Amino acid sequence: MPLPILNSADDVCGALRAAIVAALPDAQAQVTAAGPGHFEIEVVSAAFAGLSMVRQQQLVYGAIKELMAGDGAPVHAVDRLRTRTP
Amino acid sequence: MALSEQTRERIESIIGGDDVVLFMKGNRAMPQCGFSNKVVQILDSLVEDYTTVDVLADADIRDGIKEYSAWPTIPQLYLKGEFVGGCDIVTELYASGDLHRQLGQPVPERKIPTVAISDSAAARIREYTARAPDKELKLSIDARFQASLGLAPRQEHEVEVEAGGIRVLMDYATAERADGVSIDLVESATGAAFKITNPNEPGEVKQLSPRDVQQLIDQGTKFVFLDVRTPEERATAQIAGTQLLDQATGKEIEKLPKDTMLVFHCHHGGRSQAAAEHFRGRGFTKVHNLAGGIDAWSREVDPKVPRY
Repeated sequence: MPLPILNSADDVCGALRAAIVAALPDAQAQVTAAGPGHFEIEVVSAAFAGLSMVRQQQLVYGAIKELMAGDGAPVHAVDRLRTRTP
Repeated sequence: MALSEQTRERIESIIGGDDVVLFMKGNRAMPQCGFSNKVVQILDSLVEDYTTVDVLADADIRDGIKEYSAWPTIPQLYLKGEFVGGCDIVTELYASGDLHRQLGQPVPERKIPTVAISDSAAARIREYTARAPDKELKLSIDARFQASLGLAPRQEHEVEVEAGGIRVLMDYATAERADGVSIDLVESATGAAFKITNPNEPGEVKQLSPRDVQQLIDQGTKFVFLDVRTPEERATAQIAGTQLLDQATGKEIEKLPKDTMLVFHCHHGGRSQAAAEHFRGRGFTKVHNLAGGIDAWSREVDPKVPRY
């Protein structure tokens, strides 16, 4: 599925949120831009219950990987990723 | 980018090949990125030997490991074949003691180190921090006891101490090496500079003359005498009782007690100084360099040894 053209940090924040919710339907995701291509993400989801930090973060990275793929990717780095259960 | 079967097999063979495997930018001796360096510093303070894979040298691995681990960034740490995490997670695990436990190491008592800052150093530091209000003074001491000072924003899992009225932050690995450190301001030809004195640093490499070493031999003092030259040079001329420092011998030395007396020599004393510094950095406390090398040995102790 071709990605929409993302012109602004807001667009990318929205795309990240959408991608996370698509993979984790009950998730509350907070995404803030932290410089060009850099984002901070916090995700609250019951799907994280019982999972190690690494597994929780892998779920989120898995959800957003298309937005991080390739040289011109809109998401260059996730500076901070917080995950927790509600 | 899909993970080819061949790359998958390569990755699995790498992560199965050692208990501790770090996929990083650069290598252990020379990390090429701050996050990779941070993990190397942590691992250096916990394990003697571990495997690193330089993703900058291998595009297939660089892309492949991100697919394999379902993790978009480097560095990536694997313990006993399992993906543990990147820099943030490794730092958390180190701070909580979990990394020590996973590596079968005792969790250290987190003592708060005592640090001293002279008045003149403190005054200069305040000038810097006044201009950078969101930054704190950071002290960093690596596994080789190289110390540095900088200004950076506060991060999680840092130890905070007060010295000379200044707040000093450091990571846990630094805190273990920092007890008794003092920071002073010294004048030099190029202006004022900070001087960091650390009583925990292993002693300097000591220079020994050929006669000094001959005396040690005559007295029956126990030491390991190492030749760091090439096999060709060694074939031309060698000192009796020395061993060539090749990779295998290097590994054997690493296993010796850290207070084993080591004496290094080369042709003139330059390469052996570097080798000596390396082993000092590895924690050996009685490291010596033969000043003048085999050349001086031939001139001053044993003219039967050919010069070249």
